[in-house]
Amino acid sequence: MSTQASEDKIRVINLTKRFGDLTVLDGIAFTVRAKELVAIVGPTGCGKTTFLHTLSKLMPATDGRILIDGEEADPRRHNISYVFQEPTCLPWRTVRENVAYGMEIKGVPHQERMERTDRIMDLVGLSSCADLYPNQVSASMLQRIAVSRAFAVEPDLLLMDEPYGQLDVKLRYYLEDELVNLWRKLQSTVLFVTHNIEEAVYIAERILVLSNKPTRIKAEIPVDIPRPRNFLDPKFMDIRHQVTELIRWW
Amino acid sequence: MAYEEVVVKKPLLLRILPFVSVGVFLLLWEWVVVSGIVPSVLLAPPSKVFTLFIDKLSEPNPDGAVLAVHAWTSLQEAFIGYGLSLLVGIPLGLAMGWFKIVEGLARPVFELIRPIPPIAWIPLTVFWFGIGLTGKVFIIWIAGIVPCVINSYVGVRMTQPTLIQMARTYGATDWQIFRQLCIPSALPMVFGALQIALAYCWTNLVGAELLAADTGLGYLITMGGRLGRPDIVVLGMVSVGISGAILGFIIDCLEKKLLAGIRR
Repeated sequence: MSTQASEDKIRVINLTKRFGDLTVLDGIAFTVRAKELVAIVGPTGCGKTTFLHTLSKLMPATDGRILIDGEEADPRRHNISYVFQEPTCLPWRTVRENVAYGMEIKGVPHQERMERTDRIMDLVGLSSCADLYPNQVSASMLQRIAVSRAFAVEPDLLLMDEPYGQLDVKLRYYLEDELVNLWRKLQSTVLFVTHNIEEAVYIAERILVLSNKPTRIKAEIPVDIPRPRNFLDPKFMDIRHQVTELIRWW
Repeated sequence: MAYEEVVVKKPLLLRILPFVSVGVFLLLWEWVVVSGIVPSVLLAPPSKVFTLFIDKLSEPNPDGAVLAVHAWTSLQEAFIGYGLSLLVGIPLGLAMGWFKIVEGLARPVFELIRPIPPIAWIPLTVFWFGIGLTGKVFIIWIAGIVPCVINSYVGVRMTQPTLIQMARTYGATDWQIFRQLCIPSALPMVFGALQIALAYCWTNLVGAELLAADTGLGYLITMGGRLGRPDIVVLGMVSVGISGAILGFIIDCLEKKLLAGIRR
């Protein structure tokens, strides 16, 4: 094994998903290093959700393997987190209990669970509404609860499916900063799926561009711009342009 | 952060409206009988029912028991039957909603039994349990179990699928998902079942008491019929109605208390 391979946290080999005759994922292969934040962009309807569902093991793959630390991925054994497009808060639990829910399933001991919950709620500014119920907080708060819950389990792999897609632009910038901040502090391995190219360039260390169906990885673009990133930085604009060219279908 | 409750006072008119409607209804009823439009051998006016009510509080004749005894017998039967139907129906419905094996086993039998009206069980009940309390409780149990099963089943089925997916990605077991997601999601529907089942149980009470009884509100109605006394029949009916409404009100309050705990 080379040094590069030993650093690989996630290895996806020949991931294929067919529904009858329809091939949605066609031999997808890539690796993610530990503590890396990778964005995945692709044209609309390229099977991003199918891709995430197979990666998270919600849906069995037709072919191929997903390895975490060299072992076959398994939600029971590995810490996989998934932040869905729509908010997924349990309405009968308070904000704090919602943030702790993932750790509860994972069997994190009470004491540690409380400490991690408090820490993460401080980081994302949820502390002030810890004892409220989800129907008493705003839509952006709901998504932050889901993001906090996902980070709190210290995931081996954190999957995010356009978590900020439904929020307004200003709030998005703010939450993207918050996400980058969380990721740097908590050092998780994140796969962030989005259709927003600017968002991808803003947050990611590397961008994987998907093709149209049957979906393959079309290109891989490293984003080596120092943070905090500026949308008007020529390098930023250059990468954004590159990615746009790759996925344009018009 | 405090969550302040906003109190909105209902306007006076809306508050007195229920009393007005009941009052007008009683006056019309009285008038229809007193004026002779409906002969008094067919229907008793409310005033007569009321005097009979006062009498029956202390007078066991002609049907053999005072009103309180009738009501108490009926309440006992209804409550045992109701309690048992909740005890069996809710867990069964919840399990049917989530566990495919339970659904596969229980659903076909349930669907076959469901359309049979509870009073159709009376002859069999007599064979099995004789004519005591057990038989009546059985009829009431059959009546109450149906809405419990259906509501709990539907409640579990309505659990938001993304919540289940979310729990799955964290590696939750089927049992954890059932306990932590499906049951809380189903609670509002289950509480709905409390009301519906109570209504079913209470309305089938009279049917159950057709099964040879010597006390009970249903028995009072049957006796009134046999004696040709419309006032006794109406008193029995009104007692069933009023006590049913009171029970419904109590369950409603309980439901609000319990639901406030899960705040949706």
